[in-house]
Amino acid sequence: MTYALVRPARLDLDAFARATGCHPELICRLVTLGILDAEHSPSGALLLAPAQIRAMARVQRLRAGFGLNYSAVGLVTDLLDRIAVLERELRRTRHPGG
Amino acid sequence: MAGDRDFYQVLGVPRTASQEEIQRAYRKLARAYHPDVNSDPAAEERFKQVSEAYDVLSDPQARRRYDAFGPDFRQVPEDVDPDDWARARAGSAGRAGTGRTEGGFSFGSDVDLDDLLGGLFGGRAGGAGRGWGPIPGADQEAELEVSVEEAYRGGRRTITLQGPGGTRTLDVTIPAGVTNGQRIRLAGQGGQGSDGARAGDLYLVVSIAPHPRYRVQGRDLYVELRLAPWEAALGTSVAVDTPGGEAKVKVPAGTSSGRRLRLRGRGLPSPRGHSGDLYAEARIMVPARPSRAERQAFEELAKISDFDPRRVP
Repeated sequence: MTYALVRPARLDLDAFARATGCHPELICRLVTLGILDAEHSPSGALLLAPAQIRAMARVQRLRAGFGLNYSAVGLVTDLLDRIAVLERELRRTRHPGG
Repeated sequence: MAGDRDFYQVLGVPRTASQEEIQRAYRKLARAYHPDVNSDPAAEERFKQVSEAYDVLSDPQARRRYDAFGPDFRQVPEDVDPDDWARARAGSAGRAGTGRTEGGFSFGSDVDLDDLLGGLFGGRAGGAGRGWGPIPGADQEAELEVSVEEAYRGGRRTITLQGPGGTRTLDVTIPAGVTNGQRIRLAGQGGQGSDGARAGDLYLVVSIAPHPRYRVQGRDLYVELRLAPWEAALGTSVAVDTPGGEAKVKVPAGTSSGRRLRLRGRGLPSPRGHSGDLYAEARIMVPARPSRAERQAFEELAKISDFDPRRVP
């Protein structure tokens, strides 16, 4: 049986900037801070998964809502993700059917 | 609309509150209801109210005008004297049905607060709202409690959610074989985006309600199978109810309490892979008040049997 090679969908920096309405420099900064996950192409260009558009929107909302600096946004998003994991775990414990 | 409520009440501060008190109240409420912190659909509306209230009360000039002119302050021209305004309002109070023109001031038809405030995140809230452009809405989560029967068969449900613009009802399809904690995604039904950006998604987290007969574990179902001592000792075939209808369980001779008899594939179905199993758990019951004959039979059995359930095998 043969399988077609499928390239995972990734956006380059410009496409990601267009999709989120953010400046590419800001995106690079967030990648450096570890707030957005990105890969590097063989040529060294940044590639971001489409799911990161959602992550970027959350950064925008948190910054707009609380006036956080980017380091703080990183901390808050990490904590929110951990809380989400713990809440899921808690739900599973309460309903062992998970 | 959120603007109909008193801004001081929304923030929970007295009308004499200082700027610091207003900011403190806003920060506390924003932390509780921000859509990324609180995924409850009802929190979005609350956050919007809080942001609108803070937008006005944190700006001394807007606050003065709000105090003087009330909720309609945005529609009052800048150079109007508050006392003239109060007199004009009092004079027009008796004229019912005068629409949006009162006391000689002409209002535009329904002014949308959202336009004025620049949307949910466009306001001054936090001081960093400007310059972002459209921001997609946050995802939201709500619990959806379903019965074991609904989880087995699937079905449709109409749910009501609180959100901006009041309550909304959604028709939800529950797929057959949902399990506890599974998330049903309703695309675009989450938090609103600002400036026309797309809305987030709404996730309904399935919670299977406790059932008087079935215990659910993943896709497997457990049901108690009550047996008379002689049924358990000699073996029998018993009909048990399952969500998919009645099924026969063959109880082998020599079954003790706690033994699990598996009915393969009679648990919750799976859209992919194989269905869960149903386990009938044997539980031996004895008559609480045995008749004379039953008592004699048990006594006879006790005399002739050397079975000791407490003996370690």
